[in-house]
Amino acid sequence: MTKKVKVTGLCKSFGDNEVLKGIDLEIDEGEVVCLIGPSGSGKSTFLRCLNRLEQSTAGVIEVDGFAISDKKQNINKMRESIGMVFQQFNLFSNKTVLGNIMFAPVELKKLTKAQAKEKATQLLARVGLSDKANAYPHELSGGQQQRVAIARALAMSPDIMLFDEPTSALDPEMVGEVLNVMKELAREGMTMVVVTHEMGFARDVADRVIFMSDGVIVEQGTPEEIFTAPEQQRTKDFLSRILNKE
Amino acid sequence: MLMVGLKNTILISLLAILIGLFVGLITCFLGRSRFVVPRAIAAAYVWCIRGTPMIVQAFLVFFAFPQVIQMFVSGFKIDPFTAGLITLSLNAGAYMSEIFRGGIAAVSIGQIEAARSLGLSQMRTMLKIVLPQAFKICIPSLVNQFIITVKDSSILSVIGLADIVNQAKVYVGSTYQFFPTYITVAAYYLVMISVLMVISKLIEKKLNYEKK
Repeated sequence: MTKKVKVTGLCKSFGDNEVLKGIDLEIDEGEVVCLIGPSGSGKSTFLRCLNRLEQSTAGVIEVDGFAISDKKQNINKMRESIGMVFQQFNLFSNKTVLGNIMFAPVELKKLTKAQAKEKATQLLARVGLSDKANAYPHELSGGQQQRVAIARALAMSPDIMLFDEPTSALDPEMVGEVLNVMKELAREGMTMVVVTHEMGFARDVADRVIFMSDGVIVEQGTPEEIFTAPEQQRTKDFLSRILNKE
Repeated sequence: MLMVGLKNTILISLLAILIGLFVGLITCFLGRSRFVVPRAIAAAYVWCIRGTPMIVQAFLVFFAFPQVIQMFVSGFKIDPFTAGLITLSLNAGAYMSEIFRGGIAAVSIGQIEAARSLGLSQMRTMLKIVLPQAFKICIPSLVNQFIITVKDSSILSVIGLADIVNQAKVYVGSTYQFFPTYITVAAYYLVMISVLMVISKLIEKKLNYEKK
């Protein structure tokens, strides 16, 4: 299979604080990769480097063969095909649900207004929120907002989706509805990189689980390998802490 | 006689508010520039205006600077209305640039990241996502500044602008009708500012998509 994402020697520092200390990773087309690890291990920073919301300090990140880490690269064009979902949803607060989803395709002239509206309506049906088309974000629950945020990202027809702790800001009873949408997406073959604390989701949906700690990839493998037979002590410690809590 | 003054007060205030909004927005953008020179210009402008009383600024524009210009352009003159408009606009612009700066800073970074992650350029994100939200945040402070501008226009009577205060002063000078004249002047200001307040409430109501 073709390599969708290829990361070589990725480092990222914030001032003196070295957050990523040399990450190498390849992601196949259609693969679902879950990043797990303790807070501050660099998972989110790594994810944000993939669409250059953070500029890497060193190393190369290629998406579809184009070096996104290269400052000369047309980053806006590349981001059009890389969807991102945030922990805090970040829906445009001055736009309706429909407005949020239609905004980027219309603004970037990928679709006409009519096409965008049709697509937005379909996407809303897909995430189960057809009745909320004209609501404003503050009128929705967290789970609903996050589902709209996924629809908004999908409206650009991305071929890779980045999820930055999509359920961490949700009330427990709303986690399921968001994870279901993500599972659906994974089943349809979307390439996904998911930073998550939902071990159940990682176990069920991921093709590969990556355990990060202190800015490095400590261990990776199938969910089976990572959850039932972790090799590294740091992975074992982390999993026992997390799983005991569950 | 008062009506002429009222007309001048309204005219100069409205023009100064419009020019001030424009100047304020430009200054705000200069202040956010990547380069040092525009940032320094914006900072110096705001510093000078905020650091001096408007009455001194009016004297500078009407008396002091023309004297310097006359050394190069003989017979250069500036009329009180133009000088007053320049003073009032520059004054309003400096304060408004600070209001815009605060408004833009108050738009959450998440809104910007969401737009950028969809592939929008920095410019489009600013125009389509940040500014509309910042504008809404700014409205109460902007209206406050509009009100101050309307009232500050009365200071321009010191350079001979025929505004409502100046006209009233001339009128009472010959008639000694202090009470009715100044009560009328005060009432006119109240009406003008009430109109501003009503308009701003209407805009706020229309934009109040988020009841927070």
